Amino acid sequence: MASILGFGARLPEDVLDNAALGREFGVEPAWILQMCGIETRRVAAPGETVVDLAEGAARDCLERVAMAPADLGGIVVGTGTPHRQFPGVSASLQQRLGVAGIPAFDIHLASVGGFFALATAVELCARYGPILVVGAERMSEVMARPPRSKETAILFGDGAGACIVAPGPGPVSVVDIQMQSDGTFADELSLAFGGTLAMNGRAVILQANRKLRQSLAQLLERNGVAADEVGLWLFHQANLNLLKQMAQGLGIAEERVYLNLPRYGNTSAASILIAAAEAQKEGRFRPGHAVMAAFGAGMGWGSALLAVADTGTDPRWPTWAN
Amino acid sequence: MDIRAAIRKTIQDMAQAPLPGDDGESLFNAGVIDSFALVELLSKLEAVLGVQVPDTDLMPSRFETVNKMVAYFQQRM
Repeated sequence: MASILGFGARLPEDVLDNAALGREFGVEPAWILQMCGIETRRVAAPGETVVDLAEGAARDCLERVAMAPADLGGIVVGTGTPHRQFPGVSASLQQRLGVAGIPAFDIHLASVGGFFALATAVELCARYGPILVVGAERMSEVMARPPRSKETAILFGDGAGACIVAPGPGPVSVVDIQMQSDGTFADELSLAFGGTLAMNGRAVILQANRKLRQSLAQLLERNGVAADEVGLWLFHQANLNLLKQMAQGLGIAEERVYLNLPRYGNTSAASILIAAAEAQKEGRFRPGHAVMAAFGAGMGWGSALLAVADTGTDPRWPTWAN
Repeated sequence: MDIRAAIRKTIQDMAQAPLPGDDGESLFNAGVIDSFALVELLSKLEAVLGVQVPDTDLMPSRFETVNKMVAYFQQRM
């Protein structure tokens, strides 16, 4: 058994709102909101790197879990926007945390990278001990490449999320987790070296809908859990309409689906871990079941069933005291 | 079964705009369906026509017009 001890996040301070994007692209802010459901995004400051974001999320997570970097057994970073071709964000993060000797590597996947890093950590932790999982992205660097397209520029934001996965029981046990990939549609969502984002939005939505629904149906059936028994649904924050459609298709009450997409946009590999970190702070994890699910370039997708324990008055999990 | 009629009726039942008179016209461009409606449309067509669309065939370009849908489902029935 593996457990998630806690989450963390780091969002840049700078806010990019629809008014600014509207002025740039000559469209009404209301059109942007209608297209994607996003009101604001966070953008890294000049000189603020993806490693800075990853480190911020990692340290926030370590502090929340009350764990020293020296206690870590490994580091796995999911990112589609590393600061260099190699070595990855994980190497720089390991250096900053001062934890030489433990395995540290990147999972180079946009959107689903944070989730795949989590799933990998679940497998690794029994052998190596507590694994720091980070999803970090600096999408603004990609979005800045000319020619800027309003269809994609409005969607993405920067940020990083993190969690620590350890062997044995804990506040959030990983009951079941699965990853899947299908390279058939790799070109429908891709980024060439130095290029701009190529995205066939219709194809991505079609694939995401089908594959995520199948993954979730399998996951719940295999574990004998009904959708309405799940108290919290944490999805990759990609698209408001997609999330609403997923909720409707699965028969989930919308209020059980955590949503921070309007505030941060799509932060790619970071999004599901940022969402989990905020859900933890807001007391959205309640004793019972929770589900995580993500989809992204590759194409890759996956889902996880979590069991949330009742730990009484632990202040790190706020509403548990209520 | 008249596949074309079944497809047209299924689209009409959930259309966001009138169906174009020309079955070769893009349903996306005509505002009849969007990406999200296509997900639901395919699910309904699978049930109505008794044909499972495999993931590998799930490309919007295959289902952009009534004619393309008719050709696709005819091949698989």
